[in-house]
Amino acid sequence: MQKDGAGRSWGLGQHRCMELQLGLALPPPPLIPIETFDLNSYGNYETREALGTNALSWPLLKLGPADNDINNIHHHNSSSSSSSSGGGAGCKKRSFDEAPFFDEKRNVPKTLHLLLWTNQPNDEDDDPSNVLHENSSSAIFKNDGEGLVGWPPVKTWRKKVHHQIPNGGAENNRLPAVENGIGGRASKSTYVKVKMEGVPIARKIDLSVHHSFEGLTNTLMRMFGISDGNRKSFKLTYQDREGDWLLAEDVPWRTFIRSLKCLKLIRSRG
Amino acid sequence: MAYSFPDEVLEHVFSFIQSDKDRNAVSLVCKSWYEIERWCRRKVFIGNCYAVSPRMVIRRFPEVRSIKLKGKPHFADFNLVPDGWGGYVLPWIAEMAGAYPWLEEIRLKRMVVTDESLELIAKSFKNFKVLVLFSCEGFSTDGLAAIAASCKNLRELDLRESEVDDLSGHWLAHFPETCTSLVSLNISCLRSDEVSFSALERLVGRCPNLRSLRLNRAVTLDKIANILRRAPQLVDFGTGYYAAELQPDVFSNLAGAFSSCKELKSLSGFWDVVPAYLPALYSICPRLTSLNLSYATIQSPDLIKLVSHCPRLQRLLVLDYVEDSGLEELASSCKDLQELRVFPSDPFGAEPNVSLTEQGLVAVSLGCPKLRSVLYFCRRMSNAALVTIAQNRPNLTRFRLCIIEPKTPDYLTLEPLDVGFGAIVEHCKDLSRLSLSGLLTDHVFEYIGTYGKKLEMLSVAFAGDSDLGLHHVLSGCESLRKLEIRDCPFGDKALLANAAKLETMRSLWMSSCAVSFGACKLLGQKMPKLNVEVIDETEPPDSRPESCPVDKLYIYRSVAGPRFDMPPFVWTMDEAVRILH
Repeated sequence: MQKDGAGRSWGLGQHRCMELQLGLALPPPPLIPIETFDLNSYGNYETREALGTNALSWPLLKLGPADNDINNIHHHNSSSSSSSSGGGAGCKKRSFDEAPFFDEKRNVPKTLHLLLWTNQPNDEDDDPSNVLHENSSSAIFKNDGEGLVGWPPVKTWRKKVHHQIPNGGAENNRLPAVENGIGGRASKSTYVKVKMEGVPIARKIDLSVHHSFEGLTNTLMRMFGISDGNRKSFKLTYQDREGDWLLAEDVPWRTFIRSLKCLKLIRSRG
Repeated sequence: MAYSFPDEVLEHVFSFIQSDKDRNAVSLVCKSWYEIERWCRRKVFIGNCYAVSPRMVIRRFPEVRSIKLKGKPHFADFNLVPDGWGGYVLPWIAEMAGAYPWLEEIRLKRMVVTDESLELIAKSFKNFKVLVLFSCEGFSTDGLAAIAASCKNLRELDLRESEVDDLSGHWLAHFPETCTSLVSLNISCLRSDEVSFSALERLVGRCPNLRSLRLNRAVTLDKIANILRRAPQLVDFGTGYYAAELQPDVFSNLAGAFSSCKELKSLSGFWDVVPAYLPALYSICPRLTSLNLSYATIQSPDLIKLVSHCPRLQRLLVLDYVEDSGLEELASSCKDLQELRVFPSDPFGAEPNVSLTEQGLVAVSLGCPKLRSVLYFCRRMSNAALVTIAQNRPNLTRFRLCIIEPKTPDYLTLEPLDVGFGAIVEHCKDLSRLSLSGLLTDHVFEYIGTYGKKLEMLSVAFAGDSDLGLHHVLSGCESLRKLEIRDCPFGDKALLANAAKLETMRSLWMSSCAVSFGACKLLGQKMPKLNVEVIDETEPPDSRPESCPVDKLYIYRSVAGPRFDMPPFVWTMDEAVRILH
């Protein structure tokens, strides 16, 4: 058990990885406004200063892959460009000697702290909780393969209502879901895959907003960037429940909607 | 000096002071002002129902007529708060039933309301006038029937976005024939196809002051005309179904009914829209200031046509079917636009299903000089676009951007979006609410801490590199009241170094971060005015080493001490309570 300067004892058991100091009994003063916060003393901002910008005109607008110098301003000295692969581990943690945040010479907000924010070398790498986080962050990213919980942040209410299937009303809108018996609880019930011959990547289309072949074809032409002139050289086919491929135009809309599983645009021959 | 005025004079003066902040300031002037003020305060707003106990409120303010309570944290909207967490209103109703027999208004948000609570309200308050249940749950139409039957002077019944156990459509018939006082009725959340339509029609017909009526889906398009003809004084109307086979007589009847509503300014509902029926609205479009099409799965061309008829539009909620082209039209037609919300039609799809990008938002920011509030779901963004938006719209007060795929970088440069959001907080000096998304490093938090001086609510997900990020926010954002964070690498250090800051805020939510159980315990033990709640549905947090991160953490300031209605998966860190728990 350790005692702090005021003689109060506190036992925190196994807390070896954190250095803690209890703030003493003074009431916490109000936060000192940090207008005096001097961005220029940060390592990175010196380069901005050198370019002759003032606070209002940064960031520079000339962005683009060709402007390598400008791109480099916004990166940490030590870390590489945060890549587009989206992996969280790609961003290196900033070590504290690059970020001399707690500097007695500057006005910093004084808060009652249970931990003194120091500029000691970052010991987070030794922190076991850090290791756990590294492991757990990939685990929490996907929720049993169903995607993230609560992401995107769309209200439950909105999700449910959007895909709810009422009993009556315009029939064309919801036949696929009703026939599938899913009843709209699966969020993808009105979407089907569409492939185009020669294009490797499939797209998805929401059938519930279409009421006719004309509307559907228009959307597909737009989706795949087929101009009006080229429309005639494509035919819309679909795969039905039994796995057979049929020409969409050969059947009435209702039948089509009820039985289709996926769509494919093929080039018509002759 | 204050002592030379009789109390009645001061009371009269205070009656002109309505805002909570001003009232709070008045009560701090001196003891006698405190006393006078507390006896004449009629309205109380409690942003966190666990921050104070009903008894404390009643003790201080004995003559309250109107109360507003909020329960669950905001992230409960996205299923991050497990069922049974709390937010029960019954203890409040029970205490107020005895203490406030003249209570007139109850407004609740994200609370659990039972039929028992509703029945108690119906029984206890003889002059009850207003019931607003926003995003609440736990009650059925039986409870509503009790309210309808007993509240003779009911003016408002608003169930917006609540989950109601819809047992029977006949609860509407419980409004007595003598009830003519309704001003506002919102039943849009009721999901069953049953609604006692004739009871509804009669009710609407006998309430001459009805200004706001929002129907539920079950009300079919052909019935709308009947309702509207009985209530041509409506200012705000929510349709039910707006879909049917196109029939000329139904259409002209509907168009005629709409055109007879000379005061109609706000429309919503629009589930399942058949575009051919939209022109029935054209006669009222020139007067429309608010339009909620966020459930309408209509495509951009139809949306463009409709919006181009609404030059006075101030508020638009719409699905991303509007696309960039629709937003460009909006930007050129609707110069009074103040609020725009664009929701995703396919939030879980891997690929974009519509052509909605950052361009649409840029267009609106350029074309709509009064734009203040934005909620925008999209799939790509660039720093350049955000900077443009910031420079063009420094009057933004609410900016919530959700790039659907977490950690998406600037699509042009592949850099983080730090600079773009930094421009937003820098230029928009009155920004009070901000939601971040995309690839973000600690830098963005530095900007936020430096410039976000008026920021009151910040939502963060999948962002930051280290505790430094959180430290910037907690130490820099002076006005911060609510902070909610998920899936960020923020740990103990920033939290403990800024412990006192937490007492100046309403609440902090952190889930899937790196805060250890040990740090939670320390905070709970050393900060008696904070309730530190650890939520873990899988196992007790003390079954693992103290250095292990907790799953979910909710910290809020409270003068009521730890609550006693916690479910088994919530642990508070107050030492004494933990022993008992």
